[in-house]
Formats: sequence, C-alpha cells, structure tokens
Amino acid sequence: MLESLKKAFTNLFKKPQTISYPVGEIKKPKDYRGLIEYSEPDCIYCLKCEKACPPGAILFVPTENPSDNEKNKKSQIYEYNPWLCIYCGECVRACPKPQEALWQSEKKPNVATKGDRVNDGWFEIETLKKEGIK
Amino acid sequence: MKKIEVTLKNVVNVIREFYKPTKHHFLTLNGLAIDEQTTEIQWIFSEYAKTDEIIVFYVDVKEDDVIPSIVEIIPSAIISQREIVDMFGLKVEDSQSGLYLDEDSLAKPLSFGCAI
Amino acid sequence: MSKKTINIPLGSQHISLLEPIRFKFTCENETIVGIDSDVGFVHRGVEKACSSKFKFDAIPYVVARICGLCAITHSLSYTMAVESLLDGEVTQRAQYLRVLMVELDRIHSHMLCLSHVSENAGFEAMFMRIMGDRESVMDLQEALSGNRVQFDYVSIGGVNRDIQSDVASKVKETLSELRKKVEGYIEEFENNWSLSLRYKGIGALSKEEAYSYNAIGPLARASGIITDVRSESTALPYNDIGFEIVTKEDGDIYARNMVRLYEMLNSITMCENIIDSMPEGEIFTKLKGKPEGEIITRLEAPRGELMYYVKGSKKPILDRVRIKTPTFSSIPAFMHIFEGEEYANAPAILASFDPCMSCTAK
Repeated sequence: MLESLKKAFTNLFKKPQTISYPVGEIKKPKDYRGLIEYSEPDCIYCLKCEKACPPGAILFVPTENPSDNEKNKKSQIYEYNPWLCIYCGECVRACPKPQEALWQSEKKPNVATKGDRVNDGWFEIETLKKEGIK
Repeated sequence: MKKIEVTLKNVVNVIREFYKPTKHHFLTLNGLAIDEQTTEIQWIFSEYAKTDEIIVFYVDVKEDDVIPSIVEIIPSAIISQREIVDMFGLKVEDSQSGLYLDEDSLAKPLSFGCAI
Repeated sequence: MSKKTINIPLGSQHISLLEPIRFKFTCENETIVGIDSDVGFVHRGVEKACSSKFKFDAIPYVVARICGLCAITHSLSYTMAVESLLDGEVTQRAQYLRVLMVELDRIHSHMLCLSHVSENAGFEAMFMRIMGDRESVMDLQEALSGNRVQFDYVSIGGVNRDIQSDVASKVKETLSELRKKVEGYIEEFENNWSLSLRYKGIGALSKEEAYSYNAIGPLARASGIITDVRSESTALPYNDIGFEIVTKEDGDIYARNMVRLYEMLNSITMCENIIDSMPEGEIFTKLKGKPEGEIITRLEAPRGELMYYVKGSKKPILDRVRIKTPTFSSIPAFMHIFEGEEYANAPAILASFDPCMSCTAK
C-alpha cells in the first residue's frame, strides 16, 4: 500500500498527457493515409478502381465535353468524394498504372461547409450515372 | 465439418443422446433461406481440447412448422432461439419475439426475398 | 406471509455503464431474485447487408466496422473463411504479421477492461494510470498500419503494409517498458485492499455451472475449464511462438482480473518472439475465382470465441454470412450469476464480464 501512496504523490508533479490541439501540433507518422489524387492524361479508362471501391466513392459519369484522351471512348469524367472515402487504398492496388494515374498522397481532407453541398451534390452525380444525360 | 440430417420429431432425442456437458460445446443456431417456402435450420457443436472438430445437425422447415426447443438440455440456447424468431419469422416453442426488433414489428429481415 | 418485492432498473442510461444494455431487477431488501434483460439497442442489420448489397471482396471493410475494439478479429476471421473457399495459399510472413496485430489488440483491450473494473471499486487513480499507459500500444499500431482504431490492414490474400526495421525496433523497446508496468499492476491487484479484498467471493461461477452454460473466454478459464481456441485450431501459427494457457480456480471477480493480467504478459512474450523470428517473403498473393461451398471458422477474440459461417455459390454476392460474437453467448451465464447477489455489487459484476454491446446487436 505504501507503493500506491508514493506513486500517487509523484504523479502530482508530472505534466499532463493531453495534447492541446489546435494550439499545439499533432505529429503525423510517416506514410500517413491521405487523399487520393488522379492524373487524367495517363488514365486508360478501364474502370477497375470504380469496381474495387467498397463504399463507392469513385464514379465515372457521362459528360458533354469530354477530354482529348484517345482512350476515353464513352465520353466519361472522373468524380471523387473525399467525405465518403475510407482511405483504404484498394483503388490504388487495383489500378494497372499505380503511381502514374492514381496514387495516395499525405494531405488531409478539408472540413466540409454548407456551400460544398456534400449530400445533394453527390446524389445528383449518382442519378446521372444511373440514368444518363437527359 | 460433419453434417448430419435429422427430422423435426427426433431432433430433441438425438441431441439428448449426443450431448455430454464436459465433452461437447454448443455454439449457436443458424438459419439459411433456400427459397420462399423452405428454410434450413442448423445446430452447431464442437468438442473441447480437440483440433478442428465441428458437428452440425440440420433440418428443412416450412413456414408453419413449430421448431422444438432444447432449453431443458442446454440452458444457454434460449437467446439463439429468440433470434431465429425475430430474424426469420418462424415459430419456436417457449420463445417470444422482441430481442432485436420491436415486439409488434412485421419485418423479417433475413427471410427470402424480403427487401429491407 | 410472502415478502414484498420491488422493481429497480439498471437502465440504458446509468453513470457507471459503458454500454447500452438494460436490466430490470426484482429485489427483496437489496438481494436480487429475478432478472429481465434487453439487448437490441444498436441493431444495424449487418448480416442482411453482407448478403444483399456488398460484393465478397469489399466485406472485410464492412465487417470491421461492427465494433471498435475487436475490429481486426472480425475482419481476419471472415478473410480466413473466404480464403479456404478460393484456391491459392497465403505466405508465412503475412500470417505472422496478422498474429502480431491481433496480439497487440488483445493487450489494449484487456487494459480497458481492467481500468473500468478498478474505477468501479472507487480507485480512480489506477484508472487514469492504466489508460495513460494504453496510449503507447495504440501509437505502435498507428506506426504499423496508419490508423489508431480502424486499421484496414487485412485483405483477401495477405496484408496491406509491410513492417520496416525502425518500426520493429520501436515495437521491442515499447514492449520491454510495458512489461515492467504490467508486473507493477500485478503487485497492486494482489496487495491493495480496494482491489483484492473487495472482490474475493463476489460474482462467482462454479465449474459445473460453467460447463452447463457453455461459458467462453476469460470467464471460463477463471472457473477452471481448460479451453482456448488458440490451441484448438491450426489455422494460425500459435504453437511456434510460445503460447500458454492461463487458468485459475475460484471463478470470482478477483480470479478473472488475474487471468487477464497473466494473459497480457504472455501476449508481450509472443509479440517479441514474432519480431525475432519473422520469415522472409512476399506479403500479398492474388487469389483467383469466386467462393463456392460452405465453411465454419473460429478465432479467439479478447472476450471469447468468435465464429463465422460463410456460404457462397460462384456469384459475386454471397448467400449467407452468420456471425456469432462472444458476448452473445455469455448473456445467459450472466443472467444466472446475478441471482442471489446484492444490488450494490451489480455494476462491478457487469464490468468484470467485459460486455461489448455493439458486437451483440449487430
């Protein structure tokens, strides 16, 4: 029992374990799992990343002004939702050109505000994929 | 994994002869929807201190059959039986609904073709 | 002349409850004589979603989100079940890395239970100390997998990230400091009167009752039954890294605390042996085909035995996924223990069972 008393007494003089965020900095580890980034000229439009994503955060939807890439045969464009993504990296592992067309960076997503229209904007994109351009 | 088929009339006697409390371990009950009228019910056991030994008794039931209860032999089966009543909409002796869903709800999520 | 009974609820909102569960006790003068329970407060329908909406290679990520503490055991158990229905083999290096994460998870889950038990005895300083030491284990898991709580580390065919040499030396350094702290806790739990005299003889489960109620996990091992899934299945390499079963005889709250402390020491030894004898090779192999047939696998989660039943028929969406969680099968045992105890001991008995309600009501 004396051990507990001594330990409780020395605990009075230690500094607290909490990190005072956002005044103090948080140390990110190496290889932090961040946002997915895409480079359009290298993409071959095989759609393997869309089939591999578990929550469905990558969609290729039809558009009226397609890009100049010769592999874009069905006039599609890439859409990504950083607030639905779980940052697992399955899309990068499924891509045939992993570090040129699609890769995982170390940036954090920004906080969503009302002007971003997080829910309504994504529901419109999903309806566009199911029904096509009217 | 060994699978043994039983009928609804003799399943209580088969389990009473087979089960010894210090040798066998009862895991759970399981249901599997095959088509709109048939469901397969499984009783799963394993043995203490043996590697990779799992024994399964199974039977096919229709919508109106009453499944007999094994609570007198194995007291801890009561909670698995109440789950079958909620999730599949079947009738089991001495078990009432209301474990996961509300007591007067009409939903049977795991039966065949239920679009919830 | 019959005695008058009153009904007292230990409701779903209570100051010392960590989990959403509700009991209705029928008491005569502070002794409990009858009990009724309600467990389905967080039912989300995961089993239905796994057989209607998600494809079979996305399900490890869905099933990990059933529970926060035992996330890696759910995802690993499903992955082992599906890999035996496809053709191909997983390398030894991937199996050793998977066992390393599961044992680190067991250490920090037992620390959470022990700190909650000592808070219910009134010893809050111990609660703060154990929670502070638990942060170092979660920092190790963040360096290995990239995240503190939901690891997303296991996928069908292997693991996602490899271990580097500076992370391996950091693991060994942290674990050797943790071993001295755990030996300090064992001394406190044996000698301090708030934790040892207070808990002897309360909430006892005898050996015959444990056999008849099919108890599992630390609950069964504290009553004297020698059962552990790590020695009853050969899917993971536990025999090569020094696993030992820990049992005690009495079955009360004091015996369960001791079983958890000695299991933590054994897990620390196993993690150090894994880092010393890690085999070389690849960490991922691609498995082809779609799952066909049915299989049952079992795994030892920190709270007991976890079972998965998977049935597929050569399509991308599976026919049936059945999950049996350890707290689900312990509920009949604890409804039996509460009879005959005093009402004031009820929160302490509930905390020593280590319930996880989000696993029970999936």
